[in-house]
Amino acid sequence: MPALADLDPEAYEPGSRDDFDRLYRNAYPRVYRTLAAILGDPQAAEDCVQDAFVQALQAWTRWRPDAPAEAWVHRIAVNRAISYRRSAKLRQVGEVLRRLGRPAPPPDPAEVATQGDLLSALRSLPPKLAAAIVLRHYHGYNNREIAAALGVSERTVGTRLHQAGERLRAALEPSFLLGTGPAFPSDKRGSYAED
Amino acid sequence: MPKTDHDPLGPRFDRMLRAELHRVRPLYSSPRYLSEPHPRIRMWRFAPVALAVSLAGILALSAFVATGSANPAVWTERVVTVIESNPTPTPEASPVQPKAAPQAAPTHTPDHQAPATAEPPERSEAPEPSETPEPARSPEPGESPEPSGNDSSSGYEH
Repeated sequence: MPALADLDPEAYEPGSRDDFDRLYRNAYPRVYRTLAAILGDPQAAEDCVQDAFVQALQAWTRWRPDAPAEAWVHRIAVNRAISYRRSAKLRQVGEVLRRLGRPAPPPDPAEVATQGDLLSALRSLPPKLAAAIVLRHYHGYNNREIAAALGVSERTVGTRLHQAGERLRAALEPSFLLGTGPAFPSDKRGSYAED
Repeated sequence: MPKTDHDPLGPRFDRMLRAELHRVRPLYSSPRYLSEPHPRIRMWRFAPVALAVSLAGILALSAFVATGSANPAVWTERVVTVIESNPTPTPEASPVQPKAAPQAAPTHTPDHQAPATAEPPERSEAPEPSETPEPARSPEPGESPEPSGNDSSSGYEH
């Protein structure tokens, strides 16, 4: 898996349609997985990623190569996912009210694939924290790259990673303890602020 | 990567997250940007032009209603006549202001009693009250009808 630093930002020319098509082919699976981890819904993840690329194309001529193109698309996509989660909460309230007294529908098999403990714990986090965790631990971004992708300062990234790590530890530690060894050895715990 | 050594979640978390996310198969459909963005971009690009055209249409319609003519030359003539007719009241208004100004000046000067320089103008105005005897003389012409009245009254008294 190529790290963000390995992707040459100069490889894309702003406004070039061919380069945008190439960016879509390269970045779509990675951005999709990020949103799948944040949203936990394959259909919603695809919808948000497609919307993000639509927005990205509209601003493609204004993109500056000083930031990696994939981080830029990630930023748009994460913002789209945050908006989606916000509206989904409102929809859930309406759905609960409509379903009062009726049995819940069976789960979608496509969604079951993303229902692991870890992904469930990720989805329980606020989207901004979950995005920071996925960008760090799945895509291998450092704090600076996450800051570029999320449009925040590196200090904020460190804070979010720390908060997300604490919450994930609290949510996952019992199940992790059933494995071969401790996943969170307290003596080796460090800080996210040293990138 | 040295950064993972400092992560509180540890390398095992990285492995588990990668394993779970690798199991997620991206849903590939036709890229939405190939079909959607262009009409939207074109529509918003021409929105200012449409706004300008509609504003110009409204202006032309109102001018047609006001002048009764579809000829823009008539509209400009009408505008010129309106503009030329407007300035005449303003010169009339300006002479009124100087008249009001001297009246206002004495009223302001008593308010500024503190500065000593304000007093001399009051003294200079003092002669004007001395001229007020002229209004005092006004009874003289008024006396001309009065004598007849006085005479009559005197006669009346008699």
